Amino acid sequence: MSLFRIFISQLAEIENMSTSKKVITREEWEKKLNEVKIRKEDMNKLVMNFLVTEGYVEAAERFKMESGTEHIDLATITDRMAVKKAVQCGNVEDAIEKVNDLNPEILDTNPQLFFHLQQQRLIELIRNGKVEEALEFAQEELAPRGEENQSFLEELERTVALLAFEDVNNCPVGELLDISQRLKTASEVNAAILTSQSHEKDPKLPSLLKMLIWAQNQLDEKAAYPRINDLSTAVLEDPAV
Amino acid sequence: MPTSSSASTPAATANRPEFLISYLKSEQQGEVKLKTLREVKNQIIGNRTKKISYIKLGAVPKIVEILASAHDSDLSILVQSAATIGSFACGVDAGVKAVLDSGAFPHLIRLLSHSDDKVVDAGARSLKMIFQSKLAPKYDFHKDENMTFLLSLLNSENENVTELGASIITHSCETSGEQKALCEAGTLRRLVMLLEGSLNQREASLDSLAAIIKNNPEVISKFVGLDSGRALKSVTELMKDRYPRTRLLASVCLIVIGRTSPCYLQDIGLRTKLIMLLIELLEEPGRVGDEVPFALAGLIADNEDLQKLAFEVNALDKLCNFLHRDMILAKQLEGLLLAIAELCSRLEICRERFLSLQALKLVTSTLTHDCAEVRTAACICMQSVTRSVKNLSAGHFLTDTMVTPLVQLLHGPPISLQVAALKTISNVVVNFTNRKSIFIQCGGLKELVQLSKSMDSTLRLNSVWALRNLMFLTENSNKERILLELTASTLTSLICDPEPFVQEQALALVRNLVDGGINSIEHVFIEGGVVVNAVGRQVRSASKSEVCIQGMYVFSNISTGSELHKEAVMHQLLPEADGGAQSVIMKFLQCSDNQLRVATIWCVVNLTYPGSPGSSARVTRLRDYGIISQVKSMVNDPCLDAKVVIVHVLKSIHHSSCIISVLRTIIQHVVLQFRVKTVLEQCTVFSDAAA
Repeated sequence: MSLFRIFISQLAEIENMSTSKKVITREEWEKKLNEVKIRKEDMNKLVMNFLVTEGYVEAAERFKMESGTEHIDLATITDRMAVKKAVQCGNVEDAIEKVNDLNPEILDTNPQLFFHLQQQRLIELIRNGKVEEALEFAQEELAPRGEENQSFLEELERTVALLAFEDVNNCPVGELLDISQRLKTASEVNAAILTSQSHEKDPKLPSLLKMLIWAQNQLDEKAAYPRINDLSTAVLEDPAV
Repeated sequence: MPTSSSASTPAATANRPEFLISYLKSEQQGEVKLKTLREVKNQIIGNRTKKISYIKLGAVPKIVEILASAHDSDLSILVQSAATIGSFACGVDAGVKAVLDSGAFPHLIRLLSHSDDKVVDAGARSLKMIFQSKLAPKYDFHKDENMTFLLSLLNSENENVTELGASIITHSCETSGEQKALCEAGTLRRLVMLLEGSLNQREASLDSLAAIIKNNPEVISKFVGLDSGRALKSVTELMKDRYPRTRLLASVCLIVIGRTSPCYLQDIGLRTKLIMLLIELLEEPGRVGDEVPFALAGLIADNEDLQKLAFEVNALDKLCNFLHRDMILAKQLEGLLLAIAELCSRLEICRERFLSLQALKLVTSTLTHDCAEVRTAACICMQSVTRSVKNLSAGHFLTDTMVTPLVQLLHGPPISLQVAALKTISNVVVNFTNRKSIFIQCGGLKELVQLSKSMDSTLRLNSVWALRNLMFLTENSNKERILLELTASTLTSLICDPEPFVQEQALALVRNLVDGGINSIEHVFIEGGVVVNAVGRQVRSASKSEVCIQGMYVFSNISTGSELHKEAVMHQLLPEADGGAQSVIMKFLQCSDNQLRVATIWCVVNLTYPGSPGSSARVTRLRDYGIISQVKSMVNDPCLDAKVVIVHVLKSIHHSSCIISVLRTIIQHVVLQFRVKTVLEQCTVFSDAAA
């Protein structure tokens, strides 16, 4: 975070100096960057945070051995990933059972997530052509949720509409059958499990990069300086003067 | 269209509750039992309807039995049965009841000391669910062993167990004695430490901190002094937390502190931040968004400064904007209406803004909402808005669209809703235009009269109050209609109601009835004068001065009438045979209640008004009873000197909002003095004439 603070203070400094764009050479820039100290442990924690949140169990384990960075119980990541994977593969019932084993509170206190999982189950039944089962399921399990909440009812209606079309892939609600719907549901479950474990649902690294881009954009208005355009290589590119 | 499959599979039948429940018998094999338990658990989690059908089938006692008879080494059975019991207790009152009735409590407690973490987790989670319900038994903090146990929970290494400890406090800590006991046992310090813990611990801890310090200045000052102010600082810091729920709970803690000990919430910056934060949190989905408006309402309740501040940061506009949204859930809607009600409760500028935002229509439409709590909140909101005297007197609120749903609500139940509707109606019907007939025509009068005969005294009070306001400055034809509907005998029994506050309103109703000339006065003399006799009886016998004040105003109004009317008042107020009995007039003139003295003097003024032929005789009779000399002595009464009163009252001013009541007191005294002089002047006229 100190990198960000330096950016901001430089920003203020430049703002005070003049209205015309200041040019900062690569030399000056690198000198300034060298003055910024970042602790190795902080870097490691960021990496670990990313691995754990995104669910890279093995990588996290190896990283722990190599760097000695602490993390939450790895078993919980494995469980969480199993749930996520089950939803991604369309085994929603299996996913629900796994979540309930992990912590029964998650679905009991999160009606929206529970509804979305049940909705996904319905979608899978329709995808597999189990029409009668789908109807029965919608009636038994989903209709009562719709009575409790108006927005659920609307979503339910949209989902059941899938049954009305010959060619589901070209119908107005066809996107429900898309793989992206599974991914959406999967990431919702993933986030809920993370929250229940008092863990943040998003890794910190992407927001740090967002801040970098934001700060660069701010600085662009005041100065020309070596910029990072490609985040994956993080190469400093010479200012266009 | 996808091809259709075969009818429901045998597996679907096997999963029916009726079927599964037969497998829960304790003689079943372990494997089957475990599988069934899991199946039931997975069916009921998140599913209210399923929970209720299993509860009806008697599943809960069976599962509790499994838990009770499970061996300590049956880890899976212990975990699954505890989790299932916990889910039954989550979100369904009938479930909590079933769990408690079947004696699950001690078995779940037993799990907390199990050696396996997963078993402890399951037990703690289920107990937490139970303690989140209102139906959970109250935990007795005054028992030493209970306090020790609670501390062991709070000090546990297991997160779920510490959260359970906090939930017990949140659920059970109510009295100041309990708060003190918890404070002395050192829970505050431990809870403040938990603020540093995980997200869940932090939220549980904030919740229970609020419960321990609520309305208790002593405990608050202990809390604020903890670690030289660091505890308060941590809570304040949490207002900036990244989790919305944490931010809300931290604000609630500060609101609780500020309401009881305003000195800790003086900083204008902090106050503004608090209001801004709550407004921002309104946008949050789920529980946070639902609870925020209630917190906001709590913050600004009865505090004009904070209401002004909230208005300045556009709180009213934001709240009203929400009313425009579709699909707003009942809970949040209720809160929004209550928050708007608080904002408009005192400041006319808020009411003006509310009306200019066209929000009245939206609130009116919520009067017919499905949920009784929302309807009640809508009434309370309208009650605040209709305090706008300017709009009230212009008759802006007395419209069909507004009155009809309000009258509908009078049918009840619940009583709280009926009372809220009555209070709003009381405001609405006070107006000076001739639109009161709108209210009468849409059946409102009938309903009010019906409720004035209710068994519930609050309903009687508020319905009579509404009738009183309906009667206020209305034309004689309306008075006739009201009286016809109410009947003299009902009015008489209301005057003699067992509850003094109903008597007071009934007399005030009569006071408005007889205000407006001879025709109006005649109304209390119908049916052999039952009404006027009842008023007389109350004035002579009532012990509450509020009742006597209204009674004396009734007589004061009657004595503006004809010679007959004045004589009737004399008859009621002076004892027939002068056997040394004291007149009530004398009693009231000597009493310490300023308002009662004013009302009485008014009455004497009207009785002795020189334009009437019998006035001279009445002055003589009043003099015989020593009343005139009593009035004379009041001129020199030092406590009636306006200057003295002003000095005396000014000394007692601490707060700007007292000004109104100060002014009222001063005016009363000035009026009283003025009236005393009028009586004496009138009496002098007669003495002169006599001489």
